[in-house]
Amino acid sequence: MLVLTRRPDQRIVIGDDIVITVLEVKGDTVRLGIDAPRSVRVHREEVHEALRRANAAAVLPDADVAALPPLPPGRPRR
Amino acid sequence: MSPEQTQVDVPELAFPAGLPGFEDLRRFALASWGGPDSPYARLVSLERPGVAFLVAPPEAFFDDYDVEVRDDDAALLQLDDPADALVLVMITVGERADQATANLLGPLVVNTRARLGAQIVPPEADPAHGARVPLRAA
Repeated sequence: MLVLTRRPDQRIVIGDDIVITVLEVKGDTVRLGIDAPRSVRVHREEVHEALRRANAAAVLPDADVAALPPLPPGRPRR
Repeated sequence: MSPEQTQVDVPELAFPAGLPGFEDLRRFALASWGGPDSPYARLVSLERPGVAFLVAPPEAFFDDYDVEVRDDDAALLQLDDPADALVLVMITVGERADQATANLLGPLVVNTRARLGAQIVPPEADPAHGARVPLRAA
């Protein structure tokens, strides 16, 4: 892991397109601003991890749809 | 999603940012599944055989689930007209019907006109609970 020390208003550049700005440090909290291309997803780590796990669990176990277990019918499309 | 839209079928959708855990997969097909009364569809990878997800519009199971799309996500999806937006949630199946859950932390937003999709995180979403919400049987 690369470890850098920054003060508020200082920045970190990742590659050519990603810039992280330290906006404010208050107590044990730091506010960061992130500029990145729209196609690069930026998430809080716990959010990314929750999505990654949920997506991995959601992959259908069998490409053959006939093998799916029964599902709640839901409200039909109107 | 307009009430008149009874089938969701998009032969090729581009996900410019992939999906968390599947960043390298960018091309999918969306196909209705389960017949005319079914809310379900499959999101099928066109790049990796065997990768497919079950999805459904959240209104099939949840009241009052409104997805706020951030400006950056709307720009990624070229979403100028809200009528072009289709919101879907990923469904995780269990052994039994009553074990199925929906991912409300990371809904999918599809621009049906531009054929673009993304998994977004609405503001205020709670990572502790939202990814596996039990479906309520209709």
